Amino acid sequence: MIGVYIHIPYCRTICPYCDFVKRPTKGAVPPEFIRALQTEIAAFDGPRDADTVFFGGGTPSLIAPGDLETVLNAVRNHFALTPDCELTLEANPDDITEDLVRAWIDLGVNRVSLGVQSFNEDALRYLGRRHDANGARRACEIVGSHFANWNIDLIFGVPPYDAWSATLEETARMNSPHVSAYGLTYEAGTPFGKRAEEAIDEDLYLEQYAATQALLHHVARYEVSNYAKPGHESVHNLHYWRNEEYAGFGPGAYAFVNGVRARNHVKLEDYLQAPGEKCEALTLSDEEIRVETVIQHLRLREGIARDDYAQRFDRSLQGDFGGALSALATRGLLHDDGETIYPTNRGFDLNNEIGLALVTVSV
Amino acid sequence: MAAPIEKIRNFCIIAHVDHGKSTLADRFLEVTKAVEERKMKEQALDTMDIERERGITIKSVAVRLNYTAQNGEQYVLNLIDTPGHVDFSYEVSRSLAACEGALLLVDAAQGVEAQTLANAYKAIEQNLEIIPVINKIDLPSADVDSCRRQIEDVIGLDASEAVLASGKEGTGAIEALEAVIQKVPAPNGDRNATLRALIFDAKYDAYRGVVIYIRMMDGRITPGMKVMMMSSGIKYEVVELGFFRPEITPAESLEAGETGYLICNIKTLQNTKIGDTVTDALNPAKEALSGYKEPQSVVFCGMYPAVANDFEELRGALEKLQLNDASFKYAADMSDALGFGFRLGFLGLLHMEIIQERLEREFNLTLVTTVPNVAYRVTKNDGTVLTIENASKMPIPNDIQTIEEPYIEAEIITPTEYLSAVIDLCKKKRGIHVKVDYLDARRCLAIYQMPLSEIVLDFYDKLKSYTRGYGSLEYQIIGFRPGNLVKLDILLNGDPVDALSSIVHRDRAEWVGKQLASKLRKLIPRQQYEVAIQAAIGSRILVRETVSALRKNVTAKCYGGDITRKRKLLEKQKEGKKRMKQVGSVEVPQEAFMALLRVGDEGGEN
Repeated sequence: MIGVYIHIPYCRTICPYCDFVKRPTKGAVPPEFIRALQTEIAAFDGPRDADTVFFGGGTPSLIAPGDLETVLNAVRNHFALTPDCELTLEANPDDITEDLVRAWIDLGVNRVSLGVQSFNEDALRYLGRRHDANGARRACEIVGSHFANWNIDLIFGVPPYDAWSATLEETARMNSPHVSAYGLTYEAGTPFGKRAEEAIDEDLYLEQYAATQALLHHVARYEVSNYAKPGHESVHNLHYWRNEEYAGFGPGAYAFVNGVRARNHVKLEDYLQAPGEKCEALTLSDEEIRVETVIQHLRLREGIARDDYAQRFDRSLQGDFGGALSALATRGLLHDDGETIYPTNRGFDLNNEIGLALVTVSV
Repeated sequence: MAAPIEKIRNFCIIAHVDHGKSTLADRFLEVTKAVEERKMKEQALDTMDIERERGITIKSVAVRLNYTAQNGEQYVLNLIDTPGHVDFSYEVSRSLAACEGALLLVDAAQGVEAQTLANAYKAIEQNLEIIPVINKIDLPSADVDSCRRQIEDVIGLDASEAVLASGKEGTGAIEALEAVIQKVPAPNGDRNATLRALIFDAKYDAYRGVVIYIRMMDGRITPGMKVMMMSSGIKYEVVELGFFRPEITPAESLEAGETGYLICNIKTLQNTKIGDTVTDALNPAKEALSGYKEPQSVVFCGMYPAVANDFEELRGALEKLQLNDASFKYAADMSDALGFGFRLGFLGLLHMEIIQERLEREFNLTLVTTVPNVAYRVTKNDGTVLTIENASKMPIPNDIQTIEEPYIEAEIITPTEYLSAVIDLCKKKRGIHVKVDYLDARRCLAIYQMPLSEIVLDFYDKLKSYTRGYGSLEYQIIGFRPGNLVKLDILLNGDPVDALSSIVHRDRAEWVGKQLASKLRKLIPRQQYEVAIQAAIGSRILVRETVSALRKNVTAKCYGGDITRKRKLLEKQKEGKKRMKQVGSVEVPQEAFMALLRVGDEGGEN
């Protein structure tokens, strides 16, 4: 069972911290882009059974319902979607209206991920967002009243720092069954990349990270930066964190099928010229896949089960990684209950140390 | 066919580093047509890559040149190339012992330098005929008259007939060779006497085994002959012999007076002692040749494989290196902090760097090296005397009656405007003033006695920077003297780390300890647990520094394409960790073991 990712790169305004593939536009998503997606989806050569479709961006909420229908038809024509297929669409709060949300529901969208980021005006301005706090509140109310499954995206480490707890408390009141809360990273190559000195120090980062779990009492952390009520975890993103297969459509999208991790052209023009053509493709060795799988699983609270590993690779987790895993347990980064190995709270704070120990033993 | 002994001249070139020795040697090869010009690489005699890169000569090479002199006679000239750096004075002395004469090469623009002086004295000691050659006369700043005066006043040689040369332009090469023929005596030696040949160098060749460089003193040697090494009594059969022209060229015999090579199917260098005498196994000589000094290690350090599994590889590499550099010593060593490795002894700091670089480059080893130190002589309260080559092996303070350290006498030549800076430097290094002589209006010779330990760390670099590169240094060991010395320990999380111990003067111990701890705090990366760094003398803690614990190291977002990118990044970090040593619970980077070198002088410029 694979996940299907569709990247919609268009945005009304560009956020200065964003390092995804994006393109500003005043108008609608252009028809040639929709045609390119159709072409690419129809030509996909890989597994056909999918249990998730995820529209990410960019700003997928800019896509007109008619165009969304066209793309979804292409998906349904090519893939066999499971009856309870998770169908997520990322949305900017400003774009949310009752009518639009109803149209999405009619098309089968059953999960909305709202790019709220903060409920503080100054924080939103610092991040260069086009919506304000009231816009975010209004969007949450509409989405919350129509969807049982929805997400609020948040960013911490943003000044004013003392506003973070208020944002968390308000998020808890919104009672969204899923929250993603990322520490702001000043990515090289973005306008924020040149402002890295503004990044918060380790202590404040950890303080805000700890506050996130404490104040989001309605959900539980199940991944480094993700929180959900039981049964509301993002099925699509779990494909990534379990290092399972996925298809990726649209500029810069990644696919991972048959041991090859490949990326579409990043430049929009190149993509439109040759939808589905890869700008990079990496054939992973079995060993590399095993390493990545364990590292990814250990981003998850569920960790990795010995039986699952044995079933997937026909090898023993103990034999492949036993030494490194028990050393990490000794360091207090992992817990081993005999069947499953999963990160402790320190293992979340120092998650890269886990990865570092695992690549060391394998390569 | 062997050359008549009266037509042979064995000579070498002695010079300060960079005074143009290798270039002049190249000109000799050209004028005697030993190397065709199109084949002539610059500095043909420096065969190792490192030599060419660093512009210094590590190994002496002997070349046989056929030369028709201006008097019409045919001569065989054996040119023995010698290294010029202070560390390699032992190799110079070996080369000198194989010669009857020496060209004393002096840069016309630089004048007499410290090595010129030291090497000239060595040649005089060995009764060599010395022919002054003033080189680089093409330089605009050349001052031939001043050079002549310095050779006469400072060294005490007659320079009125000095050859004027420009290795670069090729002038003076023939004049120098003519002077060799006229002034350098033909070798003594009885070709009918029992074989005695001096081993003055040896190299290891992967295909042919050990190639021994010999100077024939008495008798003759032919292929198939049984020979014996006089120091060990081990016998070999001569497989091949011949000359270097400069390529290896087999011959039918080597006879008294000649210089050449010997191949005896020797697979390891261990039994090939430089300075040994080769004799006839069936009719051995009564006495070995004399005049050789054993190379003396003055600088010691530990070398450990970064990866513990490489220990045997490191041993193999050291064995091979020792094949063509008998002047460093090694012995297996075990450090609590660094595991199994070796303790090495070197002729000097540059020598140490070269060996380390060759191990890493030629044998592809990653090494962790500890700070160099000297050997101390320790008298314990019970009267036993120990030689301590490793600070961590120092007895506890209560057991020690005295610690003595090696002293040197340094001859430093500097332009007069930097003299006061040089004197300051020597004082900081516990130097004892002996005298200052003026060589001419611009330059002077300062003689200081000081502890060798002060020289091995960074003295030479400092001297160069204090004198804007003009200062030159030569030194000799003058014996042990008592010093007010203590062992300074570094503790990581309460445990002393043997590889970070050092012996320092008591007056500076506290200051050095503080500096060292502070440097280490910057060098040791943050890790999962706090790292306490303490400097201590015995049980007295001088200072504590703390590397705070790493509390956060996490990638917030990790979706599709991030996965491989993250793995690659982790792999790269893992590469960086290869040079780290796990010392107890602490990961210590390689540079930390050299941190002492970065501790500046009290009130100094660091």
